[in-house]
Amino acid sequence: MLRALAHRLGQAVATAIALATLCFAAIHALPGNLALQVAAARFGDERVTQEAADRVRRQEGLDAPLALQYGRWMAGIARGELGRSLVSGRPVAEELAHHARFTIQLGAAGWLLSYVLALPLGLVAGFRPGGWLDRAAGGLAVALASLPSFLVGIGLVTVFALGLRILPPAGFRTGAHMVLPALTLALSLAAFSIPVVRDAVVEARAAFFLTYARMKGLGAAAAFLHHGARNAAIPVVTFAALQFTLVIDGFVVIETLFNYPGLGDLLVKSLVARDVPVIMGAGLLVGLAFALVNLAADLLCLWLDPRRRREAEP
Amino acid sequence: MRIAPPRRAAGLAAAIAALACLGPLAAPMNPLEQDLMRVMEPPGARHWLGTDHVGRDVLSRVLAGAPYSLGLALLSVGMSASTGTLLGLVAANSGAAGRAVVMRLADLVLAFPGLLLALLLSGLFGGGVLPMLAGLHLAMWPQYARMADATATSTLREGHVEAARLAGFPEWIILLRHVLPRVLRTLAPLAILGTGQAIMSIAALGFLGLGLRPPTPEWGAMISDLLPFLAEGVVQVAAPCAAIFATVLALSLAGRSLAGSSMPPRVR
Repeated sequence: MLRALAHRLGQAVATAIALATLCFAAIHALPGNLALQVAAARFGDERVTQEAADRVRRQEGLDAPLALQYGRWMAGIARGELGRSLVSGRPVAEELAHHARFTIQLGAAGWLLSYVLALPLGLVAGFRPGGWLDRAAGGLAVALASLPSFLVGIGLVTVFALGLRILPPAGFRTGAHMVLPALTLALSLAAFSIPVVRDAVVEARAAFFLTYARMKGLGAAAAFLHHGARNAAIPVVTFAALQFTLVIDGFVVIETLFNYPGLGDLLVKSLVARDVPVIMGAGLLVGLAFALVNLAADLLCLWLDPRRRREAEP
Repeated sequence: MRIAPPRRAAGLAAAIAALACLGPLAAPMNPLEQDLMRVMEPPGARHWLGTDHVGRDVLSRVLAGAPYSLGLALLSVGMSASTGTLLGLVAANSGAAGRAVVMRLADLVLAFPGLLLALLLSGLFGGGVLPMLAGLHLAMWPQYARMADATATSTLREGHVEAARLAGFPEWIILLRHVLPRVLRTLAPLAILGTGQAIMSIAALGFLGLGLRPPTPEWGAMISDLLPFLAEGVVQVAAPCAAIFATVLALSLAGRSLAGSSMPPRVR
């Protein structure tokens, strides 16, 4: 337990240091005058003057020696100061909190929906391995895994927003706006969870104790429900937690596609505008969330499976 | 007739490499030439897949995009697999300290979720081919290094390696003759699946506007370019989408049959 905790914590700190250094290096290795670019982003391309750039340079401390700037940079991050957005001038923490809410909603909805799809499909596939339903579900999973999430999204928009005209194609005002992005995310995730559910069911059903339960006269469904379901749940639950990390991968592209104002959208927009404090903050938040979810998955795994607990203890 | 999975996979890899090289030559028209009198034309005899929003031939653009989407994916996987193999062999062959250095570096990279590292590098260093390749390379080498290290370590303990050592062969001959072939064989399915992943990553970066930029006919960038015109031309958007889907699907089927399993690999 403690070892898992220490490992993930170390990983989170290393991520933060690497990310901070990467961002710092990027700011200073980039071609072009940073102060001028910031001024252009802040005041518009036409109204950039040398004075404006100088003012930005002084305000943001861009005129100090490099080592000093790096020290300030790292110290600021260690204190949890993320600074202000170079573009909007608002505190980075405020921007992140605003956008993170949307991402959490989308991520949770997509993740839940993916299991609404994957659990029944995986169950029916696993109950008759090699049957037509199994092959169909397997084929569907392979096909979905070969589609980048934005292609899934474009397909859904074409059918539901342009063809049937029953859902809005982009934006975020109402609940209906959530449906297509969440469904896109869910389908991309289900590509990986369908086979996991299916394999878990097949494995649990092949166990000797299940054969015994059938021999003593229980029906197939009752035997599985009472003796197999819990065993089948272990890999599925572990994977479901791990898969939350895939949500992080998917949401950047999906939010951009649907113009959904979450963290991914913020990250991409600030990358385009080279708004380094926001990039850095968003990267840190995503990296920390990743470490946390991994930690939660580790702990859940230990809790679910007593066999592993014994292994983990020295 | 059944073809053995390794042959099939090798054949497919060759076909995709050939497509990447020959695609642009097969393009019937200039993929960059605009014709503003013929924008968003539906598919017809002159333009088989129609024209895009500035009148460029979509078929030519999809074919001309092959070296960007496929070639760069093959290149980035080749680079990552080479780095990973090299570092994995070094780790397996150089005591606890050497392995710790390599594996901690791998852990550091794996602490970044999926696309994020490539996204940050491409985005922060201004997009284009080099930052994108560097980002993909950086993000992908650890999985190959881990696999190479695990395979090499177990191979080094085997009887035939011990025999070669006792027969007086120098360490580098043993690595080259006995360990490397085994490592490459275990890495092959991973590399084939990885090429599909890389195609998707390159397309995603292009789509986000952080990879290759228009007017380069890279498939992801093409899609994001054409997306506002989806209602007028579904075929034009579907063409690069289908190209991505077909190549990734072929690669993942080949990778899976080579790995001896019909199911997607579990994540990490």
